[in-house]
Amino acid sequence: MQEKIIEIEKLSFYYEESRVLNQISASFSRNSIAAVIGASGSGKSTLLTTINRLCDEVAGTRVTGRVKIMLDRQKIDIYQPGISLPWLRRKVGMVFQIPNPLPMSIYKNLTLPLKMAGIKNRGLQHDRVERVLKDTFLWAEVKDRLREDARTLSGGQQQRLCIARALILEPEVLLLDEPTSSLDECAVAEIENLLLSLKESCTLLMVSHDLAQVERVADTVVEIADGALVGSKDKV
Amino acid sequence: MTRFYNFMLYLFSGLCGLLLVGSAFTLVGFLLWQGASIMGLKLIFGTLDMSEIIDVIFWQRIVIDGLWPAMVGTFFLVFMALSTALPLGLGAGIYLAEYAGGRTKTFFSIVFDLLAGVPSIVIGLFGFSLTLYLHRYFPGLRPCLLISGLALALLILPYLVRTTQTALEELPDSLRLTAAALGAEKSAVIISVLLPQALPGIFSGIVLAIGRAAEDTAVIMLTGVVASAGIPRSLFDNYEALPFYIYYTASQFSDQYELQQGFGAALVLLVICILLFTGAGLIRKKATLRLLYQHRHP
Repeated sequence: MQEKIIEIEKLSFYYEESRVLNQISASFSRNSIAAVIGASGSGKSTLLTTINRLCDEVAGTRVTGRVKIMLDRQKIDIYQPGISLPWLRRKVGMVFQIPNPLPMSIYKNLTLPLKMAGIKNRGLQHDRVERVLKDTFLWAEVKDRLREDARTLSGGQQQRLCIARALILEPEVLLLDEPTSSLDECAVAEIENLLLSLKESCTLLMVSHDLAQVERVADTVVEIADGALVGSKDKV
Repeated sequence: MTRFYNFMLYLFSGLCGLLLVGSAFTLVGFLLWQGASIMGLKLIFGTLDMSEIIDVIFWQRIVIDGLWPAMVGTFFLVFMALSTALPLGLGAGIYLAEYAGGRTKTFFSIVFDLLAGVPSIVIGLFGFSLTLYLHRYFPGLRPCLLISGLALALLILPYLVRTTQTALEELPDSLRLTAAALGAEKSAVIISVLLPQALPGIFSGIVLAIGRAAEDTAVIMLTGVVASAGIPRSLFDNYEALPFYIYYTASQFSDQYELQQGFGAALVLLVICILLFTGAGLIRKKATLRLLYQHRHP
């Protein structure tokens, strides 16, 4: 039985007066890939944003319930007062549905999170950049074009860059919101292989519409309908 | 019918564009026609020879004749106004775009719009009144470069605030969300992500502000410019400036040569503005490259 790294207890999420998530309880094991499935508008992406509290960035939102995550070897209720959101989001990385490299060079996309986390040593920055680009199988493709605008990369490369950017701060949890939905088959295969290799180092929670993909990569599947949990199963 | 409207709109907008470009070319052409023949070192430095001119440029010699003191005065004015207004304008623009909300934002926006609509002569009058008021406590203080620079800063401040605010507000929210998801503090999002992306818009405001500060006559007439003050030695001296020189020459000329000097001064002002715009553009390009694309290998 693997250790549970994320425990969600009776989580409800409100946008102004409407309830988007309704009393969700679920838990996810360390070093696994958990897939969240459900129809469009069922609240899958919202569930992800409650786990790094990115939902706080939207005005008019409110959360009840608890989300406990094992971070720095301590189980922390991320909704308790005094939690530093930048710290939380460095520990719980996120990759969005549409690749969203920042409009700057490939290298700066990767060093920006490091600078913002206070890691200013250029040697250390460069080592981390090289490592995450190798981890995401991008190094060979971009090592000679690190000064180029990240938006000149192909869709698959951009998404791998975004994953690399999320990984550069060595998060303990990585949230992925339909990371392959805007990519072609070849790029999807690249990303899936990457995800399988990543679960050695962190826990992945992925929203997906593609049931075949879920079958290929996920260890746990959680189904949401109309904001409520309707099923959860471990594949093994 | 729709095709007819499409064509008419195309025709109307094209003609408007053409008219404006034509007006700009006519204006510059007229200035060149009237002023080009007088352009030369004599217009700028009077009757000085080359070695004396070099001394003047390197502050070793005082010059009264020619446009040089007015050129230096104009440069000082633009520099003072911009260096005072830029941090304030950037700060207020950031506040309005990224922090203020609801009634505060509406109130601030109304105030800045009002300030933008204040005629420059009123700002000049305010500067003059301020000098009179301060004169009670600092008897040595009179209309001078410092007062003019501060009054011009007040004049250009709304441009800088509004262009900074607009440049930031036009950036997609996805940038803010992406940066937040990377663990950025709000201040880091603004400094490291939003401001570098907003640079083109902010620099448009700076260019507008430079133009406004360089050309305004009403403000400086009431706050310290005089016809033949020479180069100011301190912020508390009177000074000369090109727009005032042009105004003074055009209204007081006694012969055709003096009027031509006015046109020459207008051409020089135009060239100075173009140089300042180009400089601002180069700084923007360099800053964008440095902030967003270049890095040093360890």
